[in-house]
Amino acid sequence: MFKKLIEKSFEKSPWLFHLNTGSCNGCDIEIVSVITPRYDAERMGFKLTGSPRHADIVLVTGPITSQSRDRLIRTLAQVPDPKVVVSIGSCPRSTNVFNGSYSVEGPLDKYVPIDVSIAGCPPKPEAIIDGLAKAIEILREKRRAMK
Amino acid sequence: MVVLKYLFNVLVFPGLLFSALVGLILSGLDRKIVARMQKRIGPPLIQPIYDFFKLLGKETIVPRAASRRTFLYAPVIGLLALVTVSLFIPIFKYTAVSTVADIIVILYLLTIPAVALIMGGAASGSPYAGVGISREMVAIISYELPLVIVLLTIGKQVGMVLNKGAITFSLSQIVSYQAEYGPMITNWRLIPAALALLLIIPIKVGSVPFDIAEAEIEICEGPLVEYSGAPLAIFKLNHAIKMFIMTSLFVTLFLSGKGTGILIVDIILQILLSAVIVVISISTLKAITARLKVEQVLKFFWTYPTALALLSLILVWIGR
Repeated sequence: MFKKLIEKSFEKSPWLFHLNTGSCNGCDIEIVSVITPRYDAERMGFKLTGSPRHADIVLVTGPITSQSRDRLIRTLAQVPDPKVVVSIGSCPRSTNVFNGSYSVEGPLDKYVPIDVSIAGCPPKPEAIIDGLAKAIEILREKRRAMK
Repeated sequence: MVVLKYLFNVLVFPGLLFSALVGLILSGLDRKIVARMQKRIGPPLIQPIYDFFKLLGKETIVPRAASRRTFLYAPVIGLLALVTVSLFIPIFKYTAVSTVADIIVILYLLTIPAVALIMGGAASGSPYAGVGISREMVAIISYELPLVIVLLTIGKQVGMVLNKGAITFSLSQIVSYQAEYGPMITNWRLIPAALALLLIIPIKVGSVPFDIAEAEIEICEGPLVEYSGAPLAIFKLNHAIKMFIMTSLFVTLFLSGKGTGILIVDIILQILLSAVIVVISISTLKAITARLKVEQVLKFFWTYPTALALLSLILVWIGR
């Protein structure tokens, strides 16, 4: 009975969890600017949550440092299904300028499958919103495949 | 027949379905108003309903360190207590259940959702939840004192007129007093008590200046940190119903009266007045303030709202 409503709700209220795996803070500021009055992602139902247990979409920024690798895997395992992993910026994609450093163990797709990858150093807020809109579609497909 | 009537009261009106729907829409209104005050467009009015159904569709994870049964039943206990409270609150002349001392029943039942939050947080076995429940206890200690004084003040005012000076604890008597002498807010002696109750509503529903227990930036939503899926959905529903019940209680205590006589119009009037109280006491405060520290909350509630409520009590006692 509620199946249609729940599916629609997944499109309308995706909650974000922001995970920094050694980022330079540039992408994190761009994520925060997405929820400011200028771009206002809350009108689409996006909300930043404090706990990975509440999240639907996980935003990963930064090349994976050796300190953050285990924590990344553990945090992603805590997110309940259906979940979508979005990589923000060039660092989780290719480790960017940190490539070859002794403490960088990236890129991200060595450890978890990525659903949406947003390029840029840092990506524009418009690009992030576009990527999140694609993430919502994948989230809905995953919810359909669940049952 | 009586059983059917009570079943209808508990499940549909004014119980579960009605208060859940109105509560969710009121919290959507709160989010929208805060967004407009910050010059944003804001989420649609029915956003909390989407959130609720989305959480129902998520996987429910029980942590290994948690005690499973308490962890899963705690939100349900809170919901049951809130549904019971919603039966006791009169909508102008209409009440589902009316007793001699329903204010005392409401006072006790309204602490159960907070206790359920403490239980659930303690059962989840997370250190963040541990910090959250200790803060929730501080919040309970700080708001109970002024709340009791406000209710005593109104009971004394009504009791002096209708009950030969003895304090009354019956909400229906308070409503019939207001039907005869006009809304309680028109009595200047009770305006400090109304202000105190307006400050108590935000801490009771846990909204921003006083949301020390669920501070999502410092302690990852405190007691709710390990919850996911359906139990989290019920906790969010509890939050919404609590918002409707507290504002509806304010309307019944201070703005009630004869009503129009037609039940549907009365219900709509009650909801509209509750929405106004949500905008005044929850949304405005949320938009213009930042979160207080734990000890600041305790200090604030034991000085200003307590002093306002006591002032009202003294004015009523020496008044006449």
